[in-house]
Amino acid sequence: MTTLVRPDVESAGTSAAGDHRSASFTGLPQLVRLVLRRDRVRLVLWVGGIVGLVVATAASIVGLYDTPEDLERYARLVRGNTALIVQAGPGYGLDDPTTGAVVMNEMGIWTLVAAALMSVFMVVRHTRTEEETERAEMIRALPVGRHAQLAAAMIGVTIANVLVATGVAISLMAYDLAAAGSVAYSLSLIGVGSVFAGGAAVASQVASGSRTALALGGAAIAASFVLRAIGDVNESVLTWLSPLGWGQGIRAYADERWWVLVLPVLATVGLLAAAVGLQARRDLGAGLLPERAGPSVAAPRLSTPGALAWRLQRGAMFGWMTGIGLLAFFYGIVADQAESILEDNPEMEDFLAQLGEGSILDAFLSTAVLMLALIATGFTIASVLRLRSEELAGRVEPVLATPTPRWRWAVSHLAVAVAGTVVLMLVTGALTGLGLALASGDTSTFWPIVGASSAMVPAMLVLAGVALLSYGVSPRWALVSWGGFAYTLVIGLLGSALDLPQWALNVSPFTHVPAMPAAGFTWTPMVVLLTVAVLLGAAGVRAFERRDIS
Amino acid sequence: MSTAISIDHVVKTFGPTRALDGLDVEVATGEVHGFLGPNCAGKSVTIRVLLGMLRADSGRARLLGGDPWRDAVDLHRRLAYVPGDVNLWPNLSGGEIIDLLARLRGGVDQRKRNELVERLALDPRKKARTYSKGNRQKVALVAALSSNAELLLLDEPTSGLDPLMESVFQDCILEATGEGRTVFLSSHILAEVEKLCDRVTIIREGRAVQQGSLDELRYLTRTSVTVATDRPLEGMEAIDGVHNVASEDSHVRFDVDGHALDEAIRHVSGFGIRSLVSQPPTLEELFLRHYGDELDESGGDPPPDTSPSDGGTADPDDDRQPDGAGR
Repeated sequence: MTTLVRPDVESAGTSAAGDHRSASFTGLPQLVRLVLRRDRVRLVLWVGGIVGLVVATAASIVGLYDTPEDLERYARLVRGNTALIVQAGPGYGLDDPTTGAVVMNEMGIWTLVAAALMSVFMVVRHTRTEEETERAEMIRALPVGRHAQLAAAMIGVTIANVLVATGVAISLMAYDLAAAGSVAYSLSLIGVGSVFAGGAAVASQVASGSRTALALGGAAIAASFVLRAIGDVNESVLTWLSPLGWGQGIRAYADERWWVLVLPVLATVGLLAAAVGLQARRDLGAGLLPERAGPSVAAPRLSTPGALAWRLQRGAMFGWMTGIGLLAFFYGIVADQAESILEDNPEMEDFLAQLGEGSILDAFLSTAVLMLALIATGFTIASVLRLRSEELAGRVEPVLATPTPRWRWAVSHLAVAVAGTVVLMLVTGALTGLGLALASGDTSTFWPIVGASSAMVPAMLVLAGVALLSYGVSPRWALVSWGGFAYTLVIGLLGSALDLPQWALNVSPFTHVPAMPAAGFTWTPMVVLLTVAVLLGAAGVRAFERRDIS
Repeated sequence: MSTAISIDHVVKTFGPTRALDGLDVEVATGEVHGFLGPNCAGKSVTIRVLLGMLRADSGRARLLGGDPWRDAVDLHRRLAYVPGDVNLWPNLSGGEIIDLLARLRGGVDQRKRNELVERLALDPRKKARTYSKGNRQKVALVAALSSNAELLLLDEPTSGLDPLMESVFQDCILEATGEGRTVFLSSHILAEVEKLCDRVTIIREGRAVQQGSLDELRYLTRTSVTVATDRPLEGMEAIDGVHNVASEDSHVRFDVDGHALDEAIRHVSGFGIRSLVSQPPTLEELFLRHYGDELDESGGDPPPDTSPSDGGTADPDDDRQPDGAGR
């Protein structure tokens, strides 16, 4: 009897265990559909934006460098140029340049960064933000597995990355670039996107707030950019610690190394296993860090809308300051090496002669300052749009139900954005200058760099004005300002490669800022930009005072 | 000044939706006014118009003698508000939020604040992120009730509180009215409104369907009567205004409209009353009848005016509007 029964018992036991495991993912297909339904507009914008960027870059490079001589001229300009290696990567294939290699050098890294950003935003939005808003609780109360939402977010983000990669591969091949290189690059886009999606999944387990999770994800992207930049310059192993480095390490269009794809696969699997493990060990809605008790009475200074805005934003402010500060310091140190290429690169001298007066160091510094300012504009806009998230979360009502005028509430967050932007750019300039001074022993550039960095502020405030105006009109319109941000970013980073008409460049406020320290300071653009910013901001406050609070 | 809130034919639309469709409400100074209605009737929209968060499309709203949109800031010095869905800053503690909101209004009555925190059993040191719905509501209640505002706008203030805290809340409201404050309380907890409110407005689909004191509204509603008589009771059905007559053993149960009560009892006494139990209608019944009737008529207009002077002969059952009938 017992011998007959035993197999049954065992099989029942294993099938129960199997059920238990698969039950962790119950409801997955419906949740994937929910993710895609919620993100259908966002997905189109992200995928369309990234693919469009690639198409535009490829088109202009194919047009600009259509003979082997043109390609060789480009390569001579770029080869061994530390400053450009920091920005763009090691420049595989530029010894014997093909159009593909040039396209990669111009936009390869930025498209990888864009895919990484898309992945981080999407995963956090569908995991930690859901928990924070208690929507996850509603879902989890249904017959839905513990890990089903995380899995649905990962499947959704994978679909997004595959769409991006497919679009990119088709576009690159449409410009007659080699199929192998195009496929290799697309696969590394999926790989890099997935690694950062996995990282965001872990961040969403660790942090108890979605803002913190996003900050961790953003910091991971920044750190891996810096790691690969140092590694590429020193030709050291550091590049191989960076997922962005893997994305370039596949050597698209330059004798592809397919095995590199193993790295993102392994990393993604490892990160997801960690995320699932963490999720199984924590309560819904909780992070890994215990929630500490706060004061039972508010500090005396917490008594104005401005104090509240500062309290709400100071964490983000310090986070941005640390991140951008480190990046600035790093650029300062690297800048010292920029000058060394001048000696053996006559092409570069011609190139700089076109730019106008100033040394190659100044040219590098003005590019670095522009780039740091473009990134810091992310803080400026996010800080203004804190108004939007406060309103949509229903937290503006209790404040406006007190005798706080609407303009005062709007200006409170605007003031944090403006002051934060100024401080951020002063810190950026000071740390770039400090890095350079430490590396070169020359302190004479310190104040010019701080000046160059501060000169970016009016252009950044124009975007703050755009953000405030769009929010003032309607919180639903506020996301338009991120479109404006993306536009200035593309113009600033790729403007020269894209071969765009002058008016398209002129739309970006940064086009009008003198490229200090390479160029001299002029008052006119500063005054004009500040006036535009003030007018936009005033119009935004007016519009906000006249509309319904949602 | 005797009118705290006066809403006169206010219309507010959101796209094709008419959230407020010619709403009229009058709240006298010093009274506790209940604002009753089902979900989506327009209760919160009304309060948000009064707060100047939303601008009315047409009609006229006045609050403490001012215009709620134009004079929002000045009016907000004199009122306190508890939202229906309390959203707090997750990384601030409850105590910090209470103090911040009170200071934004112009100062904290520290003694009152601490007393309320104690009475409502709120832990002010916890971060708002960790509060339950009821606790978030307590934070908003402490912030509002510890003020010296002359008008309290409360949007379903007890929807997350347990019964014990609900009774604490009711005590607080009674104390507030004792100090001469006006309270405008939206709710669908009828027992609460019955216990607290002097007058009631019932709103449905953006319109006031009834307004009056509880007595006045009761006057128009039926009383449930259970009688036992010496001789078998007959002929009750013939009386105009008597409904739902049912015999149970030795008892007879019927509902009677206010205006027919006298005639009905006179009729019953002719049969020799042995016992009589009568119950006033609860607001639940009042409410159910309104919307029950409405459901039957699938959207027919409710009786618009039910003031006692001309309501003596009104019977909502007979008041069906032929043009509104969807059958």
